[in-house]
Amino acid sequence: MTRSASPLLELRGISKRFAGVQALDDVSFELYPSEVHMLLGENGAGKSTLMKVLCGAHHADAGEFFYQGSPVKITGPADAQRLGIAVIFQEFTLVPYLSVAQNIFLGREPKGRFPGSVDHARMRADAQKIMDQLGMTLNPDTVVATLGVAQQQMVEIAKALSQEARILVLDEPTAALSDNETEKLFGMIERLKAQGVAMAYISHRMAEVFSMGDRITILRDGKKVGSRMPNETAPDELVSLMVGRQVDMSYARAFCEAPGELALRMRGVSANNGIHDIDLEVRAGEIVGLAGLVGSGRTEVARAIFGADVINAGSIEIFGKPQTGSPTHARRLGAALIPESRKTQGLALMRSVGENLLLASLPRVFPSGWFSPRKAAKQARALISRMRIATPGPGQRVQVLSGGNQQKVVIGKWLNAESRLFIFDEPTRGIDVGAKAEIFALLDTLVKQGAAVLMISSELPEIVNVCDRTYVMREGRIAGHLARGQMNEQAILTLGMHHA
Amino acid sequence: MFCEESINEYGLPVFRMSFYLARYRDYFMNTTVKPSTLSSSAATVRSSTDLWNALPDAVRSVVLRLLVLGFLCFVLSLASDAFLTATNIVNVLRQAALLFLLASGVTLVVLTAGLDLSVGANVALSACLAATLLKSTGSIALTVSVGLGCGLLIGIVNGLLVAVVRIPPFIATYGMLWILHGITYWFMNGETIHGFPPAFRALGSGYYWGIPVPVFFMLIFLLAGVLFAQRTRWGQEIYAVGANPEAARLSGVPVKNRLILVYAVSGAMAGLASLIFLARLNSAEGDIGESLTLPAIAAVLIGGASLFGGVGSVFGTLIGALMLTLVLNGMNLLNIDASWQPVVTGVIVVLAVFLDKLTRKGDVR
Amino acid sequence: MHEVSYQPDTPYGMDRWMSRLRQCGSAGGALLALTVMCLVFALSTDTFLEVANLKNVAMQSTILLLVALPMTLIIMTEGLDLSIGAVLTLANVVLAMVAVSTGGIGLAFLAALAVGAAFGLLNGALVARLGIPPFVATLGTLGVAQGLALVATDGQSVVGIPDSLQFFYGGTWLGVPVPIWIAVVAYLVFHFVLYRTRFGAYIFALGGNREALTLAGVRARWYLVAVYVIGGVMAGVAALLLTSRISSGHPTAALGMEFDAIAAVAVGGTSFEKGKGWLLGTLFGVLSVGVLRNGLNLLGVSSAVQVSAIGLLVIAALMLDVLRGKHQ
Repeated sequence: MTRSASPLLELRGISKRFAGVQALDDVSFELYPSEVHMLLGENGAGKSTLMKVLCGAHHADAGEFFYQGSPVKITGPADAQRLGIAVIFQEFTLVPYLSVAQNIFLGREPKGRFPGSVDHARMRADAQKIMDQLGMTLNPDTVVATLGVAQQQMVEIAKALSQEARILVLDEPTAALSDNETEKLFGMIERLKAQGVAMAYISHRMAEVFSMGDRITILRDGKKVGSRMPNETAPDELVSLMVGRQVDMSYARAFCEAPGELALRMRGVSANNGIHDIDLEVRAGEIVGLAGLVGSGRTEVARAIFGADVINAGSIEIFGKPQTGSPTHARRLGAALIPESRKTQGLALMRSVGENLLLASLPRVFPSGWFSPRKAAKQARALISRMRIATPGPGQRVQVLSGGNQQKVVIGKWLNAESRLFIFDEPTRGIDVGAKAEIFALLDTLVKQGAAVLMISSELPEIVNVCDRTYVMREGRIAGHLARGQMNEQAILTLGMHHA
Repeated sequence: MFCEESINEYGLPVFRMSFYLARYRDYFMNTTVKPSTLSSSAATVRSSTDLWNALPDAVRSVVLRLLVLGFLCFVLSLASDAFLTATNIVNVLRQAALLFLLASGVTLVVLTAGLDLSVGANVALSACLAATLLKSTGSIALTVSVGLGCGLLIGIVNGLLVAVVRIPPFIATYGMLWILHGITYWFMNGETIHGFPPAFRALGSGYYWGIPVPVFFMLIFLLAGVLFAQRTRWGQEIYAVGANPEAARLSGVPVKNRLILVYAVSGAMAGLASLIFLARLNSAEGDIGESLTLPAIAAVLIGGASLFGGVGSVFGTLIGALMLTLVLNGMNLLNIDASWQPVVTGVIVVLAVFLDKLTRKGDVR
Repeated sequence: MHEVSYQPDTPYGMDRWMSRLRQCGSAGGALLALTVMCLVFALSTDTFLEVANLKNVAMQSTILLLVALPMTLIIMTEGLDLSIGAVLTLANVVLAMVAVSTGGIGLAFLAALAVGAAFGLLNGALVARLGIPPFVATLGTLGVAQGLALVATDGQSVVGIPDSLQFFYGGTWLGVPVPIWIAVVAYLVFHFVLYRTRFGAYIFALGGNREALTLAGVRARWYLVAVYVIGGVMAGVAALLLTSRISSGHPTAALGMEFDAIAAVAVGGTSFEKGKGWLLGTLFGVLSVGVLRNGLNLLGVSSAVQVSAIGLLVIAALMLDVLRGKHQ
């Protein structure tokens, strides 16, 4: 592979501050043509912010940009587009009720005959061309709102590729994709490399980093802590750079020998959200896994158990009592749900740590209705110290906490409600490696104290190392169950796949 | 100049207050201040801006409004001799009391990121029903129960539309506004009812321990409202619902019930307000209460509540009601054409929301 | 690994239209409501189905249509324009006053358009530049417009409108009444703009994913302001018809019309979230409101109660929306 000596785009000394948090601190970053430059870091390290500064979505407080050696200014998306920068975002930039073609060419529609009108036929044809290159079989007139997450991600990718950019930024593009689609994307990336395109790629997956990356930069707490070539380093070194300390990734735990009472029993449960005929049991003292591919219905099962979604067949019993279909009732029975997206479903971001910690236990702590701030603060402080939440006090707005600490607040909320059945949906998503270990240790403590845990995770090593046993879902049904001795990644994958 | 003086003049006590606040800030005060600033606030506060930034959002917002209120009083006392007279002050308080009673219920609704546009029409229908009943039976007890009951019922219907049928609040209550308006007109058939027994009129025009009755109610419900919002678990849940309804729901908070509760309270307060309004006006006709909706919402927004939910206080609404009443009172004293009142109210509302946005820069929403 | 993760594609042709229809929710409901109401009124009154009456309904609906069309666009951007009734009233007053003093229509019409555009600009500035929620902003401008209309006329009607103005409501061209022409042209223009121009696609984006527009390098704010300005301008156009119809300028002429407009849009299936909209639905909605008012009028129901009925219609339409599972 030919590597040019000088970078196509260079960022020097970029700093950016948001409302009291230094998101980027004097970061320098270069993109060379025909290269994939991997950007690694824990959540909150500044990767997304750096990319947003690159594409003009955020305005840097300090720093300079150089394009092919000459200084340029990037003050808005238009500037970035002029330099030939295109981005594939993590949060979709699609307009729900426009078609695929309209979304791909948003802002760059081919002109029609009348001033201001659009040449729809040409737009459709151009869109089809790009979709063919990606192997997409969609009709370009499909309204985007009807598409599934994976398809929307592909449209997002098509949108970026259609800009014929010279610099492409990819922010965890494979997060929602199947292996098939990921392969197609990687094929595209190889083709773009051959055409001289420079790419910046954010990823949390080590396999990708080493297979696709030509250069690796690690960010931590807004600073650049290292730059490596893939053949000169190994995952462990990268992880320790990301975290700043040595981390044991094996989460060893003593597995459950004698499970206790029946905490959860689902029989023949079906719901409108897509799950069918679910039979599931969880006992006290166990961490039971719920594995399966993205979209196989695991979150839907969790929601059904907690009463967040209504079931239309079957029965759910929590500690022997039937669950009547409301989260309030499920809570009263002792169930707890730690949802997948903690920012939108688990926390009230503008409220304080204390307010969030008490949210699920208000009736228990204040049965008469009278609320005492002093008592609440005391309980909050106790929880903060018990769970080692890094916050100056219960009055801190929860929005500014890091991902790991926010997750601890969500868990703490349920601890205070004296829950005994914990349903975790992707407990360690977007959490740095250090906090992950703490959370698993917490899970272990919980079950040793007699609680029951149902854990949904897409990280197979986590399931294999942490769970006592696991169910595997496929297309809305339970495909199988694996006991301790049968659990390994291969077996879980086999059960979860669609047999051709 | 006036404001600067007050900060420097009260510099020392404010400094002490912020020290206490720094100590007890754990008591659930939203703050965006980093720990280092707070721990050093006792020692290194030099300028009034440092002090100002160290105060939590909620306190800052109330202090700002109190200052504006004081400023308004000052300006009005200069502009017109009639302002500081006992009659006028009592008048202002009475007007503000009525407005506050109506706006306090709406405050709870706005806390949940909702809106109750039907309060004016609610007052109209409740008052007309009550008036009819009073005229025909003469029983004050029955009248009061019907007035309150009607308001409460309308509130519950609003709550059901928003919580169960899931119609966006401003559409649901906007639709209800017109529906109630129509029912009231049809019911009254263009007639006017007037002349109520003095015992009833005392509700609006009477005095109790030297305080006008409406002001008495205002004080009672100010206390009740503040206690409910800040010192009961239902109040905490309502704030949570406003901040993030989905997270509240997934934490086991019965969101639907709480929503119905706030709309019901808003309706009931409208019912109460309608009785006092009726007693004061001593007459009822189809279009009373029409001019109350805009000022009620204005009072809530001026008082610092955010339309996006989760932010606001009953005390703030009181200040908002006082501020608005003062401005309108001032306009009256200065003989400005009454047609300008909706214009001024409209402008004030827009300004209040704009200023609020400015002071909440660091928010999630 | 061989995972099937696609959902079935939407095919071309007729099916595409069907899926579009389904996506637009209660537009089918609006058509249903319209038919039911026509039936009910046809059976309960003698005069509903008479040609003269139906023509009346169509004529009176034109003003509402002129205002409901921009309202559709505004609502699609997750906004609302509560001031449009008051602005229409003010434009009516201004048009009348200028027409009376100059004796001609040209300057008067320009004045009305200017007033409408000015308020549209004000609304747009408040919503797009200052970030004030549309609800509050337009509630404020409603008060301002209402107040100004009152102050300008001292509460009295403005009379003495030149006769030439009659043409715009009472006149015909090629046998079709002028208002119908204006309404048809307006509808066609809006249809073209919404579905065939960049601007129209941006309106979908403003409601559906505003950030996407900014990230695509488009000046989203300006387009948002433009949408409100269009509302104001259309109020000015509608003022021409209104003034012609009532042959005067009156400070309460069109107060409350915003409710009918919002009702029409809501009944027509345009959702209040996410940038989904259907102009044809608005047309059905406007006709529904017109038919409802007309029928109730014939039945001797007072106009205040008519408004109640429209309110109930809106709530019914929204309930249907929810029952179909549109609101999440």
